Amino acid sequence: MWEIAVELTIDQRWDLVDRIAKETIEVGAYEPTLRDTLADVTVKPLTGIPFAIAVIYGFWMFFSGFAGFFTDGFFVKIFDVHFLPWIQSVFPGKGTWLYFIFVGDPSAETCFESFGVLTSGLFLPIGVVLPAIVAFYLVFAFLEDVGYLPRLAVLVDGVLHKIGLHGYAIIPTILSLGCNVPGVTACRPLESRKQRFMMITLLGVFIPCAAQIGMMEGLIPHLIGWVFLTLAIGYFAVGFILNKVWPGESPEILMDVPPYQKPTWRNIGRKMGTRTSHFLMEAVPFFLLGCLIVAVMYLTGAMDWLGNALAPALTGVFGVPEETVAPLVAGFLRKDLAIGLLGGIELTTWQMFTSVVLLCIYFPCLATFALMLKEEKWKEFLATMLVLVVTVFVFGGLLNLIGIGLGIA
Amino acid sequence: MEKKLSEMGYEEEGIVIKILGGLRYKIAGMGIRKGKGIKMMTKQPIKGPVVVTVDRSNTSIGLGLADKILVQVKK
Amino acid sequence: MGQANVGKSAFFNRLTGAKVAESNYPGTTVDFTKGHMLFQGEYVDLIDVPGTFSLQPKDKAEEVAVKMLGEEKEALVICIIDASKVERGLYLALEIIEKGYPVIIALNMWDMAKSVNVKVDTEKLEQILGVPVVPTVATRGEGFKELVSRMGQAAPVTIEEIIRSVGNSSRTHH
Repeated sequence: MWEIAVELTIDQRWDLVDRIAKETIEVGAYEPTLRDTLADVTVKPLTGIPFAIAVIYGFWMFFSGFAGFFTDGFFVKIFDVHFLPWIQSVFPGKGTWLYFIFVGDPSAETCFESFGVLTSGLFLPIGVVLPAIVAFYLVFAFLEDVGYLPRLAVLVDGVLHKIGLHGYAIIPTILSLGCNVPGVTACRPLESRKQRFMMITLLGVFIPCAAQIGMMEGLIPHLIGWVFLTLAIGYFAVGFILNKVWPGESPEILMDVPPYQKPTWRNIGRKMGTRTSHFLMEAVPFFLLGCLIVAVMYLTGAMDWLGNALAPALTGVFGVPEETVAPLVAGFLRKDLAIGLLGGIELTTWQMFTSVVLLCIYFPCLATFALMLKEEKWKEFLATMLVLVVTVFVFGGLLNLIGIGLGIA
Repeated sequence: MEKKLSEMGYEEEGIVIKILGGLRYKIAGMGIRKGKGIKMMTKQPIKGPVVVTVDRSNTSIGLGLADKILVQVKK
Repeated sequence: MGQANVGKSAFFNRLTGAKVAESNYPGTTVDFTKGHMLFQGEYVDLIDVPGTFSLQPKDKAEEVAVKMLGEEKEALVICIIDASKVERGLYLALEIIEKGYPVIIALNMWDMAKSVNVKVDTEKLEQILGVPVVPTVATRGEGFKELVSRMGQAAPVTIEEIIRSVGNSSRTHH
């Protein structure tokens, strides 16, 4: 790659560095400060593990509290109490197809149930998902900026090692809880192809993004813990199996652990701003489009036809009603929209739980799907898709069986 | 006394005397090389990694990799 | 270029201004980002690459950085070093200098180094290496005027010259 001939060996170069350092660097005595103590305490297992649990719990409390405050306390009131009745009354031509597409069900009392382009299509992204996105990136950017994440990676290394990954994998995982797209690209610092393939697969299949989580918070706050538990079991079980069957190496962690830094609010603000505006520019049109497609498919009868066609799988294998075909279709565009659309379908608690889990895993969003094609080789990509399909059927089937077994399906 | 980095105790200090195999290329840029002073900062349970301090930087190294680094430990 | 966690992305954002399409998360930069900066009266391309500890990449993100360096043969390299961890930063800087690139060194996080009582004699370092060395604090924009104004002084140096000057300086020292 280069033409220059004179190159030093590692030892020669380091000898030179040491000689230069001796001439120019003076390391004075220095009393460890709070920053150093904190750096120590948060990476040592005895104190670091409880601290990590507290951080994750705090993250969640802030996330759900923040999103809940804005969604329930603000947007739900605006949309359901003021906007929905207003648009239902002023939009012309009640009973026409145009009204059905843009406003949706004229008797709907909430924007979760109406399904119209201008009702659900606006309420779901702005009222439910936006607060979740803002809340997630606020905390994530903060943790990243102060330099906590490498310490978390050290602490979870042992566990992830058991499935052929290592501690660094926690960073793409958490990043994917915001959005799978940067999560998948963040797999690059994993050393081997095997680790990258495993990680991309696990992220694409099991990690819901902040938009989906925000939607779950809005729709099924009482079930969300179970959804996470189920997905985590899947993450480790599939990881364990892939590690056994997929050939390749699993190198160990080798990572710089930087000192803590004062957060720069400018940085945090910038990261949050970028993500939020990305979401508004890219997601909202997809929400509107998704609602439009679903409404048109209902109007033309295509949805009923597809529902009938897929009924054996949906009701037979997964135990959910055939109406869930609409969220499934919408899910190809936006998975958060898909989960939101479940709000308009009559489901038992167990069916709701099963549907949410299945929607999380059945397909990565379009953007992630495209990125997988870029980051993976063909063989790996096909394997990822195979894992996806098998997981959907195994998980869906098992959950249905468990539901039947417990008598709550 | 000479031991593997992975065998060093908590807060123990020493001098790196040998790095086996290709690992020395990988960690040269991280400041770990023959002749450098090294201090064990923490060890993690369930075969987790070690965290060591060299020249005021902390580096986390998997246990298997730490097996390949030999250290002359200070008494 | 620089090693992990030396503040490359903050640096890049400073130099290019706020209007950069940010595809990377600082702290987890895994791809290169291109931007423009004003240098000697005209706009030039500036490329932010993922952190790499040496030019022997140990993963795919580091590979992106090393490959980019290999492709941009005409590039002037701003090598960013954590001022409190100069040794390992110099290791990378020397590797880049050995390849024949004109290099300017930024000793970033200068404030942090001060607070942990690490003193670097920048003049002497500059004398030994033969390349400009500028202390900076990227998060606050300190030292950037000097950095940009001195970028023109970056010129290729050979390792022999460096070895010779480190020898000289230790002689005058004794």
